[in-house]
Amino acid sequence: MVALKSHNMDDPEDWHKASPYKMKGWEMKFIAILRQVPENEARLKVEGGKVGLNGVTMVLDGMDEWGVEEVIRLKEAHGGEAVVVALGPERSEEAIRTALAMGADRAVHLVSEGYIDPITQAQTLAETVLEEAPTLVFTGGQQADWDSQALGPALAEALGWPSVTWTTKVELEGQTHAKAKHDLDEGQEIVRVSLPAVFTSQQGLNEPRYPTLPGIMKAKKKEIRKIPLSVSSKVEVLEQTIQERSRLNKVIDGTKDPVAAANELVKLLHEEAKVI
Amino acid sequence: MILVVLDHDTTRLRKGALEAVSRARQLAALGAIAGLVVGENTSAVAEEARKYVPTVYTAEVGGYTPERWAAAAYAAAQKSGAQVVVAPSSRQSRTWTARLALKMGAALLEDTLETATDGSKITATRYSFLNRVTEKQAASLPVVFTAKPNTTPVAEPQGDGMIEALTVEQPAAQVEVLERMSEQKKGVSLSEATVVVTGGRGLGSPEAFAGVEALANSLGGAVGATRAVVDAGWRPYGEQVGQTGKTVQPSAYIALAVSGAVQHQAGMNKSKYIVAVNKDAEAPIFKVADYGIVGDVHQVLPAMLEAAKKLKD
Repeated sequence: MVALKSHNMDDPEDWHKASPYKMKGWEMKFIAILRQVPENEARLKVEGGKVGLNGVTMVLDGMDEWGVEEVIRLKEAHGGEAVVVALGPERSEEAIRTALAMGADRAVHLVSEGYIDPITQAQTLAETVLEEAPTLVFTGGQQADWDSQALGPALAEALGWPSVTWTTKVELEGQTHAKAKHDLDEGQEIVRVSLPAVFTSQQGLNEPRYPTLPGIMKAKKKEIRKIPLSVSSKVEVLEQTIQERSRLNKVIDGTKDPVAAANELVKLLHEEAKVI
Repeated sequence: MILVVLDHDTTRLRKGALEAVSRARQLAALGAIAGLVVGENTSAVAEEARKYVPTVYTAEVGGYTPERWAAAAYAAAQKSGAQVVVAPSSRQSRTWTARLALKMGAALLEDTLETATDGSKITATRYSFLNRVTEKQAASLPVVFTAKPNTTPVAEPQGDGMIEALTVEQPAAQVEVLERMSEQKKGVSLSEATVVVTGGRGLGSPEAFAGVEALANSLGGAVGATRAVVDAGWRPYGEQVGQTGKTVQPSAYIALAVSGAVQHQAGMNKSKYIVAVNKDAEAPIFKVADYGIVGDVHQVLPAMLEAAKKLKD
């Protein structure tokens, strides 16, 4: 393993401590792209061939939350600004407020109702990001509603920037480079990447903070710049269905005689299901 | 024209590449098929590839970066006039195909289960909402799509294609790899295994995974782990099943001391049979289980292992 300066790789707190760049007055800017999605435990229903989100609790996407936390930590360590950018319907403002309550400084909300595919969203977001000219950008590794992994790399392509996907650690090296650790299909990699760059989040990146009451109060006064959009999606969603496999639910009580239960289970798998 | 980007390990085509060729053949209404072998030492793989597709492009661009793969695929798409580009789905391909879609001004259909065409559009089905919803999408050409592994029969050899080397303008290197820690494992790969035996935090210790491994081995399967187990450092990340790990779809998914949070279910809810052993009868895993035992995993697992061994004898 390459030694990452004197930092302790296993301690996310140590990762952002005592930045020399904070002292030199370089103004940095860190952007997190965020989306609002159904809460993980939410019960989804299909209405008229589409997933209906009325009455479903909507939250800041968990993977985006890692990105928001990371840009706030980077700002706390290096100074500058932590900005969140969202593209989504009016209701996304709640997720934006959550990010602001966590500690982001301000927000830009590109307001658009209806489905827009991730590639088109990336192209649209690129214009805002270019205007903001940040040091780096975070997006979620995969969005919990689209199950898409394209937003981060497509945004990087639209900007002509490098991308690092499934990032578990980031460390700035001045204003021009960052060192990052990220997951591959199998295994991990440590890379040095030129800035500005787009990173996508992965579990292990950090432990997001909960918004505090003073944080929530402050968030109400923070700026959300709204930009109305009308863009058309390249991809059309024709129909959504929930095909929950009906499960057999054959549960054996193994509390009294675990050996007999195990024998019966293996027999069922062999003779009835025929999978072993 | 359809371009298939053929995944390989520098000596042979991977299974996913042959599934992607099948997907391309299903779209015959859109014309002939060309293949692209990109990376290092492409010539041996190209020799294999020409048995499957009439034209094979090679692009010697060095080791993988998303920028290089996207640039090579774009060059091959332009050269062949392809309006559709197909690649097997993986984290890697889902990164560079996003870049390629932008270069081509194409729509992107990710991790598709099935694909069809009427000559001007591609329709596809895929999972969304943490693997809970099946969704049908449509997009006008040009289209880039990735094909989910184990969804399509592998292609049979067909004909005797020609090989053409492409010169690809190398993008400026913006990412330098300092170190790679690979987790190449022996045995059956988790994504392709027909039986997966997953251990959860309820096993109590990393040592208890010896029993999980033994059961997986005796059933010819692979070991999986929950996020809590990976976070605790008991098992490598490569074994994690769930939203932020791998998605598996085996014939039998055996979850031992796994509670079954939604994020975990996102990685296994399409398994043919789900089997659960948990001491908590109220654990969410039992709601999606076909077979299960309410009981102590430390007593049930050794007995299951015994019974499984007897089956083999």
